[in-house]
Amino acid sequence: MKTTYNINSDFVESILYTSTAFVLMAGVLIVFFYFSRKKILQNELEKKDLELSYQKEILHAVIITQEAERGRIAQDLHDDISSNLNIISLNSHLLITKNLTESDLNEISKNIIHTTTKAIENARRIAHDLLPTVLEKFGLESGVKELCYEINQSKQVTLILENKADFESIKKEYQLHIYRILQELIHNSIRHGKAKQISISFEGSSPSLICNYSDNGFGFDRLKTENKKGLGMKNIESRIGFINGTINYESAIAKGTTVIFKF
Amino acid sequence: MIHFFIYFGILLLATNTIVYFKGFFKNEKAFKIFVIYNAVMLFIQVISLLFSLKGINNIFLSHFYFILQFILLSSFYFYLINHTLQKRAILYTSSTVLVILLLQYIIYPDLIYKFNLLEVFLTSFAVILYSTLHLYNMLNSKKTYYYINLGILIYLFGSTVLFLTGNLIAALNSSKNQLTWTLNAVLYVVYQLFILFEWKKSKK
Repeated sequence: MKTTYNINSDFVESILYTSTAFVLMAGVLIVFFYFSRKKILQNELEKKDLELSYQKEILHAVIITQEAERGRIAQDLHDDISSNLNIISLNSHLLITKNLTESDLNEISKNIIHTTTKAIENARRIAHDLLPTVLEKFGLESGVKELCYEINQSKQVTLILENKADFESIKKEYQLHIYRILQELIHNSIRHGKAKQISISFEGSSPSLICNYSDNGFGFDRLKTENKKGLGMKNIESRIGFINGTINYESAIAKGTTVIFKF
Repeated sequence: MIHFFIYFGILLLATNTIVYFKGFFKNEKAFKIFVIYNAVMLFIQVISLLFSLKGINNIFLSHFYFILQFILLSSFYFYLINHTLQKRAILYTSSTVLVILLLQYIIYPDLIYKFNLLEVFLTSFAVILYSTLHLYNMLNSKKTYYYINLGILIYLFGSTVLFLTGNLIAALNSSKNQLTWTLNAVLYVVYQLFILFEWKKSKK
């Protein structure tokens, strides 16, 4: 009799414990899933916030760049065009004064011609800086070639261009972005990296055209915030975004910079 | 069959104890406690195996096994987890469980010679909770002791259910009694393989 009682009590005890264990385990699982979901959602929200603030930053950079560009154009117009036009205007007024000798007239005319030529040249340069005509008329390949030629002419740096890519495959609206990215990279290499040699090579065809850019300058620490937050860098990144490309920097202090971008 | 898994489990445990011991001095507190846990478990298992081979009743060793496992794994999670609140929760839960078991043994000293279901239940479940907590913490941070944690979770839940029902099957004197303990031995081998895998991963 007693054994039966023991078996029964053990039986009940075991079943009670086992079922409690299962119920509790289910509870633990539910609580775990509830909090995990919450945590994951919160993470996603934070990520989205970060993305949004990054986009805002880029927009901010674009606006600042635009304003800086406007300022530069205003300065150029004021210094190079307006001042020349003023001189021309003054000289023209001189022409109508009475009792001018032949040599005076000659000198004034010479002055006017000289200043007009200068004003025309400046106007052409400003227009070229704003939008290189060669890019518009003959496409990116000629644009890049001209850019390299101009840079080499400055004698500050030696630029080697190697082109094995099919430029025809690049969408027309992307060409200006690529041109500007190169301009910015060259500007950075010369101004910040004090590079003496730059090499640019293109290969493949869009959408997997690869541009390999490298210089022998000082290089920079990519992880430093001051390097990440520069206007130029943001400008490059937003342009890469426009052309649906990817960009990869490799640089270390005193080891030059290599940039590879694909579009 | 069952003997093969038991010996294999002990062999794996011994291997783990040795390979983990190599990193004892250069690792943090949680790691040290885990090495001690492995060594203590190995010691108890070898002793209980010797007892059973000599035909001596080794059931009282199960209390050492469960309580020491509980204390060592609680300390392991206590040092592993960084949140102050969670640390405090582990400390209070573990202390409460120990006090409850102490009271139970004071009131029913006879339990020493029996298989204590409340002890199995409380000690395993508390560690399952800590393990789930650690899994939750690892959701958006670096995975530390990931495989060990998974091993503990799988083994403890499986073995708790087996221990709880095992008593029942034993009480019914069923012919399937052996099956429960074989399953438990297999589960233990799986657990030790998880621990070994963690060591292999950390080597890379």
